[in-house]
Formats: sequence, structure tokens, C-alpha cells
Amino acid sequence: MDEASPTPAGLVPTAVQRTARVIEQVEMARDTFRLRLECPELAKRILPGQFFMVREPGLTDPLLGRPFALFDVACDSQGEPVGIDFGYVVVGKLTRRMVRWKPGDPVSVCGPLGNGFPEPCDGHLVMVAGGIGQTPFLAVTREALGQRRYGDPPRTAAARPELTLCYGARSANQLAGIDSFPAEGLDLRVATDDGSHGHHGFVTDLLQDLITNESAPTMIYTCGPEPMMEAVAMLAAEHDIACRVSLETPMACGFGACFSCVTRIRLDNGQWDYRRTCVEGPVFPAEKLHWSDR
Amino acid sequence: MTRVPRLAVVLNRLQLASPILVASGTFGYAREMADFTDFSSLGAVIPKTVTARPRIGNPPPRTVETASGLLNAIGLDNDGLAVFITEHLPYLVELPTAIIANIAGHSLEEFQQMAETLDATQGLSGLELNISCPNVSGGIDFGTNPTMAGQVVERVRQATSLPVIAKLTPNVTDIVAVAQAVADAGADAVSLVNTFHGMVIDWRRRRPVLGNTTGGLSGPAIKPLALCATWKVANAVEIPVIGIGGIATIDDVMEFLVAGATAVQIGTASFYDPGLASRLVSDLQTCLRDLGLDSVGDVIGTLELPESSAAARS
Repeated sequence: MDEASPTPAGLVPTAVQRTARVIEQVEMARDTFRLRLECPELAKRILPGQFFMVREPGLTDPLLGRPFALFDVACDSQGEPVGIDFGYVVVGKLTRRMVRWKPGDPVSVCGPLGNGFPEPCDGHLVMVAGGIGQTPFLAVTREALGQRRYGDPPRTAAARPELTLCYGARSANQLAGIDSFPAEGLDLRVATDDGSHGHHGFVTDLLQDLITNESAPTMIYTCGPEPMMEAVAMLAAEHDIACRVSLETPMACGFGACFSCVTRIRLDNGQWDYRRTCVEGPVFPAEKLHWSDR
Repeated sequence: MTRVPRLAVVLNRLQLASPILVASGTFGYAREMADFTDFSSLGAVIPKTVTARPRIGNPPPRTVETASGLLNAIGLDNDGLAVFITEHLPYLVELPTAIIANIAGHSLEEFQQMAETLDATQGLSGLELNISCPNVSGGIDFGTNPTMAGQVVERVRQATSLPVIAKLTPNVTDIVAVAQAVADAGADAVSLVNTFHGMVIDWRRRRPVLGNTTGGLSGPAIKPLALCATWKVANAVEIPVIGIGGIATIDDVMEFLVAGATAVQIGTASFYDPGLASRLVSDLQTCLRDLGLDSVGDVIGTLELPESSAAARS
């Protein structure tokens, strides 16, 4: 096994395990909600693209925590980070319970976990999101616009890229959190499968159109369903554009102990190996991913 | 006068500061848990199973949650013994707790060679023999055959002076027979149980959910099964028993100790509550103090059977 590393990128000793309280719950779109949890230590440390594990304390069914990506950090009136926001779609055992969580309810959280997105680059950063995959991009946008700093110590985004978000959903009523994105400084382009809002078709059409008819992006970030991300990665490779992919892999622990969230990563010798998405990702350079037969 | 109850336990040649251990395969190589755990409180850390050669592991999905349980088929994904010794062992042996390496061999020779290799390293407190992983094909299923299980222990005992624990599978007709065989062969202790064979099907797609088709079930769902196996073995064999299976609360710990376990391992619960094992150590202190006991030994094997059921069993 090559490049075996005892401390893979992402395995940074900064995570905390806490019982947080629900601050608020807001409906963002059909079956899509945003939860805000009070957890200052986590809020202070987390970076865009990192995630945390969430679970309802005291239950054995559902048993395990579920990973959620940071949507944004909430600050108090002094500007101190106090809360973490995340979006979720009601799809399973835990999320069906989550819709009933009320302010003050205790929630187990563990994080921040994973590597997150790199610091904003110069040039033109294009984010391509599908469905709830948009959630990491609010924090990416705010950091790139210089509106907010993340991490402890807070990292300073030196670059101010031009920003575009291509956001696809099935239908207009499933476009979550559009209002949360800044109206200034971000070029937001929408596609829906049914044509009820924006472009009628795939979100990748928007990216193709942008690449063909405008100047090529410097960097692409993508998060969403895997076939969409693969199509984005193919377009990026075809046009020689750097691309970062945020994988959403089922996880049992989220911090590297269980070895279940593995994904195929290309090695320098042409072979591939399974690597843990939670500690070596969830954000990977697109060219490192072994897409076929996943 | 309030005395601090003694937590130290002795498992033949293996002496541990506390009866709370963490189970192999649920604690990574300990580094992963450093943010959440006070290692010094633990009786021992047992890192993920190491095999002689690197293993790529099973295709994903490798885990699926079930009712109060977790079904897994990781497939002993690891970088092999050489990498374990150069990359993981130096970190592990510096931790303020006992380290028990967990090894799995494909043959008697491989078990013996791995034990010899690890015997030459510094800082290990013992070896746990994984003769019970349900997710690996190709090797001999040592754990389901008492004679074979005994032979593995015998060969490892010849290869090393380290204390030896045999980790047993519950997927047998008579776990007591396997435990007896490894005890006769010189094991210092037995740890039980490993996971139960299980399966989850996505019936709409007519496909198994796990990449490996079947897996091993763990978590609170298996606790009564594990407790029963622990009780049976503890009653039947002379060597100490380390109870494993769905332990997640101090009451679970106490149940296993009362049933006859000298120590316990925390497994799946570390995935959803990574700080649990160290918290259970202080919970145990408190529990023993509240009971007015001097030592954890005062609890071990204290199960009392009502006259009627004792008579029915004899």
C-alpha cells in the first residue's frame, strides 16, 4: 500500500462531542428543513464543507448518528459563533423524528469532522449543487465574499473569486434556501427537472453552457447526487478545470473508527484503494476518485 | 470514610487497571478517538484486527443500521502487520493504557508467525486472537471448531510470552465447548461474543444491502444473547471471561459483571458515543461506591439464581 499515512488529511484533533440544544427549526422547502443547534465550540471551529454527526440522545433506534454538512454558522450580537445550521430532507428514521424537534431539545453532536473545502481561490469559482447538496455552499460563498470567517483561528480568505452557483432540484418547491444566499456577489443559476423554475433540465446543462459560452471557471466545487457529480467531474476533466467533489457516503461513526464509509481512490501507481470518506474527505480532488463501478 | 473502589482486574497473566476495554474494530487505531476519550481511564485499547498481509476489505456498503443494531461487513480492511508495526504501534504503545493487539491469521502457521513478530516488539500487553470474524472467506474458520481453536491458542502460546485472549464467535452450537478448548490450550482469557451472522435485504431491488451480502450484527440488539453466552461460559470454564455485545450503559456493564465477566469491551456504542468508554469507568466507580463495595471483584459472578430455577438446571 503506498502513501500510507498515520495522520491522513482531515484527521485533525479538533472535534468535540457535546449535547447541544435546538435553537430553531425552519422549513426551507418541501420536506426540507434547517435546524440551528447551540454549540459554540463546534461553531467556532468548523470550516465550510466540514460536517458533524447528529443523533437523538437516549435512543437505540435509530442507533447511530447521521452526518450533516455545515450550512452556516450563527453568530450572537457580538459576532461570536454560537450556533451551527444544517439542512436536511425528511427521508429516514432519524429525519422523520427531527421534524418534531423543538427549541430547547437536547441533541448529540460530534464534530467538526472531515476536511472541508480549501480556501477560496482566485479567478472564477463555480459551485454545482443538486438538491440538498447545496448546503455546503452558503458558507463557501460567505467566506469567498469576505462576509464571514470560519475556523479557529479564523482563516482569512485572501482571494475574492467571481462566484457562480448552479443549483438543480426536481421542482421549484424543492429549491431549498435560495433566499439565504447573498443577492450581491453571487451569480445564482437554477435548473429544475420539471421546468417549474429556471432552466428546464439538468444542472449540468447550466455548467456546460457556462463553460461553452463564457469564460471557463478556475475551479469547480460540486455536491449532490453521485451521477450528477460524476457528470460535473467529467466536464471539468474534459475542459481541464480543477474540481473538488464533496461525497455523501453512508457513515457509521464519522471520525474514522469504523472503516465503513470507504470510497475508491486512485493511487499514483495506477491502482486504487479504499479510503475513508470521513477522514480523508468528504472533499476530494475529482481526479482522485475512481468513478467506475462504484 | 469514603474509599475509592478498586477497579483493577487480573485475567491470569494480564493485569488491567480497569475492567472497561474497547473492542477491536470499533476504536480504529485509537488515534481516531483521541479527541473524545481519556485513554488513561481504560483497562485496555484493542486496535483494529491486523492480518499478516494487507487486506483491501469488502466492497461498500459495509454497514447498515438495523433495529437497535448495526450490521457490518468491513472485511478486515487493514494495511497488514508490517505497516501496523511501523505506523500504528509506536503511537499506540505511548498511550497511557494497556494495548492488546488483535490478530487474525489464515492458518496456524500464520497465527504463529504473527505472534512471533509481535513478541519481538515493545510495549504490548497482550494478544487477542480473532478466530471469529464472520466476514472473511478463504481462511480456516478456527472459531467454530473446538479442536482447531485450541490448536491456534497452543501455537500462539509457543510463539510468545504475551498473555493470550481468544475472541470467540457466537455462531456455533456450543460456545462453551470452544471456550473450554481454548482454556485447556492455555488461553489467559476468552472474550465473547463477536458479531452474529445477519442480513438485510432491499426487497424492492431484490438485493442484499451489504456489499458482502451478509454481515455481523452488533449493538444493543444483541446484548441479551451476548449476556447469556457470557454467563454460560463464565460458569463452565476456569479462565476469566471478557464480555462483549451491545454494552452501552453502566447497567449493561454491571449485568455482564454480575453474570461472571471479569471485564467488558465497549464496541458499537463507541461509534455513536465515542466518549462512552471513559465515562463508563467513572460511572463504574460511582456505582461501586454507592453499593459500598471496595472492589469491582465484589460484583463479578455474583448472580443469584432462585432456588426453583437452580434446581431446574441441575
